[in-house]
Amino acid sequence: MLEIRRLEFAYSNAAPRMHFELDVEGGEVLSLIGPSGSGKSTLLALLAGFLEPSSGQILLDGEAIEGMPVERRPVSIVFQQHNLFPHLDIHTNVAIGIDPSLRLLPEQARAVDEALERLGLGGLERRRPGELSGGQQQRVALARVLVRRRRILLLDEAFAALGPAQREEMIGLVRQLVAEQRMVALLVSHQPRDATLASARTAFVCDGRIAALQETRALLDESPLAEVRDYLGSL
Amino acid sequence: MNPRAIPALLVLALLAIIVVAPLAGLAGLGLSPEYAASDLAFWQDAYIRRVLAFSLQQALLSTLCSVLPAILVARALALQPAFALRGLLLRLFALPLVVPSVVAVMAVVSVFGSGGWLPLGRSLYGLNGILLAHVFFNLPLAVRLLLPHWQAIPRHHWQLAAQLGMSGWQRFRLLEWPALREGLPGVLLLVFMLCLVSFAVVLTLGGGPRSTTLEVAIYQSLRFDFEPLRAVVLALLQLALCVSVALLTLRLQRLPEVEISIEPVAVVERRGLSLVNPLLIALAAVYVGMPLLSMLLDALSGPWLAVLRQASFWQAVANTLFIGLGAALLSVTAGWFLLRYGASLAYDGRTQAARWIELAGSVVYVVPPLVIGTGMFVLLSSRVDVFDWVYPIVIAVNALMGLPFVIRSLAPPMRQNHARYQRLCRSLALGGWNRFRHLEWPLLRRPLGLAAGLVAALAMGDLGVIALFGTPDSATLSLLIYQQLGAYRVAEATVTALLLLALCLAAFWLLERGIGGSGDA
Repeated sequence: MLEIRRLEFAYSNAAPRMHFELDVEGGEVLSLIGPSGSGKSTLLALLAGFLEPSSGQILLDGEAIEGMPVERRPVSIVFQQHNLFPHLDIHTNVAIGIDPSLRLLPEQARAVDEALERLGLGGLERRRPGELSGGQQQRVALARVLVRRRRILLLDEAFAALGPAQREEMIGLVRQLVAEQRMVALLVSHQPRDATLASARTAFVCDGRIAALQETRALLDESPLAEVRDYLGSL
Repeated sequence: MNPRAIPALLVLALLAIIVVAPLAGLAGLGLSPEYAASDLAFWQDAYIRRVLAFSLQQALLSTLCSVLPAILVARALALQPAFALRGLLLRLFALPLVVPSVVAVMAVVSVFGSGGWLPLGRSLYGLNGILLAHVFFNLPLAVRLLLPHWQAIPRHHWQLAAQLGMSGWQRFRLLEWPALREGLPGVLLLVFMLCLVSFAVVLTLGGGPRSTTLEVAIYQSLRFDFEPLRAVVLALLQLALCVSVALLTLRLQRLPEVEISIEPVAVVERRGLSLVNPLLIALAAVYVGMPLLSMLLDALSGPWLAVLRQASFWQAVANTLFIGLGAALLSVTAGWFLLRYGASLAYDGRTQAARWIELAGSVVYVVPPLVIGTGMFVLLSSRVDVFDWVYPIVIAVNALMGLPFVIRSLAPPMRQNHARYQRLCRSLALGGWNRFRHLEWPLLRRPLGLAAGLVAALAMGDLGVIALFGTPDSATLSLLIYQQLGAYRVAEATVTALLLLALCLAAFWLLERGIGGSGDA
């Protein structure tokens, strides 16, 4: 279980202070929606360790991780773009997630092959990212998530550049992966439909805090909050 | 502390030592008690006044003679519909950028010297020769700098002008001039600066005291007249001029970028003008191509055996390669560490600090290499035999001269790389050697190779600091050509010049391909 306790952050002394409080169960994909600049990506950056909170705690199964260096955190992250190194082939792009020196044990190399096979990328191992479609590229990034076996998965508008059918397919894959590995996943998206597909619960982030957290359908259809209605109405 | 800061700060310290220490040496000697204050009153010295006036005169005339025709040629190239040799022509216009200045001098002599295709006789040596050589160098450069301004005019503006029935002049006044006006002052100042610090051309074609510039006068004061104080005064004057021009350029805040677009602007010229543009392009091509072709033909029928048999030639080849490769290695390494730190600062939002680091690497734009060399000469000559230090000094100064090219070539891709992959690298624990091997080397080797090739070619062809510190044992091919010219062995000098050109182009190609690779990384 991921617990975020009184996590505070501000970009500068003059900037407004953000404050996050959140619990996410193992095996759950929690969607984060909200206007641009509301703090969704900042929350992911705090979890990944790219930003340092001024106070508060991040607990994974009761263990504090907020002080851990980025590379040792139990986190995998998928961005909207630039997840892959364009000059490395697909196999290497996945393998680098296990060991950056690429000295893989035979079973690790097998795991890479299996992950690629599983995500429908079998036979494309020696291709470079530029030779794949946008959806295939994000599958490669998910294959890397699969082999890294980290407990927390952060998806920062990871499927924003894909068409509706591809998005649906990728969200299905994420749900499977999260359920199998009992991961905790946070999905940032601007599309309410993504939240509907991915998450039983969705958080609405506004002005640097979680303004609402409830069942996705209820949040999208019946939220009494004016900010939520404004946001959904503006889409 | 950011681990990238340590090597970058070491490089900055080294830069400071190379630039500031000689300047302090100059100032120290100028203020030394053994000299009276009146010794520094250069305005009372007729010789220095004359040198200063000629420096400014030749730079101004060279700038006008280069940039004004370049405007017409660039316009002709921009407006002329695509033609078969367009790409080749633009490559020809890039050649003077890598041709060593002493080779360019030989090329000009081969056309305009006695026995050339258009002999000017004795009148070649002096202002005429200096202008001819400076135009050979700077007209193509100015064309390359000005051409993108036409490309920047939106296609819809051309269409609108056609629809409104604008005449050629109206189009120039209302469309082209406003676009050109943006970049013209920067180009004028850049060419003026290049002509102001031009050394090899004036040294070889100046022809005597009447046509001496500050740079050449510094050299003569140190190497022939043994008057260090005069050299100091001249160097400080040159520094003041360069700083003024640089400040003026910075004030304009529009530093020119060398970018070439191969696509012509699609404009249909009126019938009456359709011959003018091709004619202008042909004239410029002949002006740039003819000297190189003439030198090539002269060299091919030259005394090859006599040149190749000389031990001094092979010694000069070895020295040239050593200095060129040493300068390239030093410059690229220094630039790499500076830019790596700069990219991480920019990523952290400290863009001003990143910009200062890049500007520090381009200090040579403000402090001419010969001024640095003079300072080193003055600083070291009282303590050591400066001629024993020729290699480290020449390599260091040439590396410094190449650093702006390294920064220009590497900074944009390095910043982009850092911005794109920094977070991913951190989350994957991709650092140090692994990051270099898997990310930086494959993605940056191309600009790195280009920069290394350029710096090596420039250093190998330089006739500046080596003239100040060179000895018969440490002479490079450029210095050897100068010595051959001084001994009236013009045919030998022409052969040596062609060999130097071939060596520079080969080194450029090998480094660019060897480091940059030919793959599609």
